[in-house]
Amino acid sequence: MILSPEVLSILILDVIFLFFSLIALILSIKIFLNWDINSTSKTQYKLEKQSFLTATIIKYIFAIKLPLFLFFIFTLDKISSVLTGAMCAAGVVDATQYGTYLFILKILNIYIFGFWLLIHHLDIKDEHLSLTKAKFGFFIFAFFIFVSEIILELTMFLAIDIDKMVSCCGTLYSNSATSYISNIFLIDTPILLTLFYGNFIVIVISYFMKKKYIFTLANFFFLIISIISIISFFGTYIYELPTHHCPFCFLQKDYYYVGYFIYTSLFLGTFNGLATGFINKFNISMIFNIIFTLLISAYPIIFYIKNGVWL
Amino acid sequence: MIKIKNVSKIYTINKNNTVTALNNIDLNFKEGELIVLKGASGSGKSTILSLIAALSKPTTGEVIVDDKRISKLPDRFASLYRRENIGFIFQKYNLIPTLSVQKNILLPLVPSNPDEQEAQKKLEIVMKKFNISHKKDAIVRNLSGGEQQRVAIARAHINDPKIIIADEPTANLDEKLSIHFIEILKELKSTNKTIIVATHDPLFFDLDFVDKVIEVYNGNIVS
Repeated sequence: MILSPEVLSILILDVIFLFFSLIALILSIKIFLNWDINSTSKTQYKLEKQSFLTATIIKYIFAIKLPLFLFFIFTLDKISSVLTGAMCAAGVVDATQYGTYLFILKILNIYIFGFWLLIHHLDIKDEHLSLTKAKFGFFIFAFFIFVSEIILELTMFLAIDIDKMVSCCGTLYSNSATSYISNIFLIDTPILLTLFYGNFIVIVISYFMKKKYIFTLANFFFLIISIISIISFFGTYIYELPTHHCPFCFLQKDYYYVGYFIYTSLFLGTFNGLATGFINKFNISMIFNIIFTLLISAYPIIFYIKNGVWL
Repeated sequence: MIKIKNVSKIYTINKNNTVTALNNIDLNFKEGELIVLKGASGSGKSTILSLIAALSKPTTGEVIVDDKRISKLPDRFASLYRRENIGFIFQKYNLIPTLSVQKNILLPLVPSNPDEQEAQKKLEIVMKKFNISHKKDAIVRNLSGGEQQRVAIARAHINDPKIIIADEPTANLDEKLSIHFIEILKELKSTNKTIIVATHDPLFFDLDFVDKVIEVYNGNIVS
């Protein structure tokens, strides 16, 4: 097990989250089962007060969880220095069989909590609180994914063996790797770039035509294609190395922490894009998607201007 | 206009100690009525006022104002309802002592962020109406009890609310000022405001312009 101050902070926060989310779960179940906004009974008035408390707990968990995701990546990067073979967070993620699943679960949970907040926002704007039951029903579902993340996080940190040699990101994200990640490199670059920019054009067109469902769907695909494009193509221009495809290294100081800006703009753009199916978030999604696309496209263009060749 | 249906209000002090402030009461008030709630301290008068003003929620039952179920309103909508419909006059005036008369009167307008000229116009009208114009720049803590009461009434009136709620409004006034306050109430009633006064001051019980005198005793409506 690895127990650096950063890991300890994350684990302590996990315990606090677990405690408060359990309270929120119990209250959510009560609200979900007994909510009747038309009732004037003692139980209903009590539930109305409890719904306020529960929503506050969930909001605060999310408020801490969002920056904690960035802190988690920072922690993985930091502890990579004590694992033999690891050069960045990618090595730590791959150090145990749980890392990749934990990473996916963490991103999934951010989206889930974001959607919960969205439903909550719509609910409190409605005088009749018509989404309260759905909101807490959704939290009951989210709780189990959230708890899975906490368990997996604890398991991962417990399973890390600092005496065991791990693979570096150069090996994990290479054309010769045998993992499922290597399948990404089977896609031809021109096809990948056509998909990436084609998808972006669909987003722009659906934005101007205000076609919310096309916009939402295009954002979903944009998230997936963008991550693949970063690993397969754009990352190499950030590193200026044709063989280096790691999606984590550019989060480090050597690359001016540009990864945090790239991922934040991608997640904010696509999250708001996905949310557009329920609530008008066209503008905010478009702003972040443009920032992301400009930022990520700038690297190959600048490289070409400077060197006169593509990698 | 105001319907109180099967309302109970129980305050929980701790697990084994509860206080029943209202016990399954029913009341109906019409628009433009002046209602006096009388009863001893702790009888439940102020609780009725706080329920009508959506300051608290009943334990059971409901309060309906203009067909709106205000006891079911979420907090932000309850605030909006109060801002648009209710004017408060408190026993201790609840003015901000360090602010001037005009700033105190203008306070209820702040959340709606009105046009400055319009706000000044409203201010001039209410200050004139309640005879406090000459003190508009005075700091409230330097005013007499009667003047503070007039400022409180002007503040309650500036939003032109449909309902005016007064909780023991004459408790801190001498008889002369209390009579003056009653005259102001009469004037307000003539503008078709619904006025609900909770008091144990006998001056209110035999007034000819009062529509209903309701006696509250131990959380029940006696008469």
